[in-house]
Amino acid sequence: MSSVKKNFYWSVVLASLIIGVFISVQFRMTTDIKDNETIRRTQELADQVVQLKKEQDVLQSQLIRMRGQLESLSTGPLSPQIKAEMEFATRFSGLSELTGSGVEVTLKDSDVSQIFTDNPNLYIVHDEDILKVVNELKAAGAEAVAINGQRLVAATGISCIGPAIRINEKALVPPFIITAIGSPETMEGALKMRGGVAEYLQFYGIKISVKKLEKLTIPAYSGSIKMDYIAETDNDTSSVPEA
Amino acid sequence: MWLGLWLAVLGLGVGIMVGLNIPLILPHAYAKYLSVAALAALDSVLGGIRAAMEDHFDNEIFISGFFSNALLAAGLAFIGERLGIDLYLAAVVAFGVRLFNNIAIIRRHLLKK
Repeated sequence: MSSVKKNFYWSVVLASLIIGVFISVQFRMTTDIKDNETIRRTQELADQVVQLKKEQDVLQSQLIRMRGQLESLSTGPLSPQIKAEMEFATRFSGLSELTGSGVEVTLKDSDVSQIFTDNPNLYIVHDEDILKVVNELKAAGAEAVAINGQRLVAATGISCIGPAIRINEKALVPPFIITAIGSPETMEGALKMRGGVAEYLQFYGIKISVKKLEKLTIPAYSGSIKMDYIAETDNDTSSVPEA
Repeated sequence: MWLGLWLAVLGLGVGIMVGLNIPLILPHAYAKYLSVAALAALDSVLGGIRAAMEDHFDNEIFISGFFSNALLAAGLAFIGERLGIDLYLAAVVAFGVRLFNNIAIIRRHLLKK
């Protein structure tokens, strides 16, 4: 074997060895990119969301069942006075489904948002707008209020979370349908008052419609009830409402 | 000349084995450079085999060509990235065409024998 040929063989082996390393490292890099950290993390989080939603469903059904049990227990051997008090408390706190006459207010985002020189934030329904409407309804004597089927209770918060509005830990999206039980005429009048809430919202193009209803149903509060910090006061005579 | 080809394939196989087993992972930013470098190197090897078949193989030319082509291709990709021009495409096209040329010539030599 001549020295030139020998050199050739060695060089070829060396060169192809290096190429082999290159190719396999490159291959590993490419596969590494495919299941890279961000993508995997996103997938993980999506799985978690699905998992938590399932858990939430299970817990929700559990809650409903236990509420039913509680109710059946409370209808047991109790004095009629306590029963009446309890019924009142349930109704007052929003834990029972109620029906009566009232109004249905629908809030929709504005169509004017296409003017892109303006701030589009002005033309969508915000937590503040809902709060204004709810406040006006309550001031006009609303006895029970729900937004998109979420009953407003004492602990309910209304806040913006990105494009949605969070009420009772649920993310709600437009259109927002606010139902309120009370005097339909009074509530409609309060909303449509000159310089009132409806006019204010319409100024920004938010579509508000008020519908008087003879009979509407407001669902019970379905969220969790947390009482981690509440403690009973010593003189609990005043805490019992008069039935 | 079959021996040369087999040695190349053998080297490639061993290299791939080594590459798959070394605990080294390059940052993703280098993927582009490494790929064109690998392409250039592959072209050099085929060029070397072709030269050997035509009996004018020169070891120094081969080795220097191997490394300079690989570095040039990677450097071109690097500069292109800095300038916002896809210069690595130039390397891909140039070496790709040469690769096919070399393979075609090697094929002819092997078949003529």
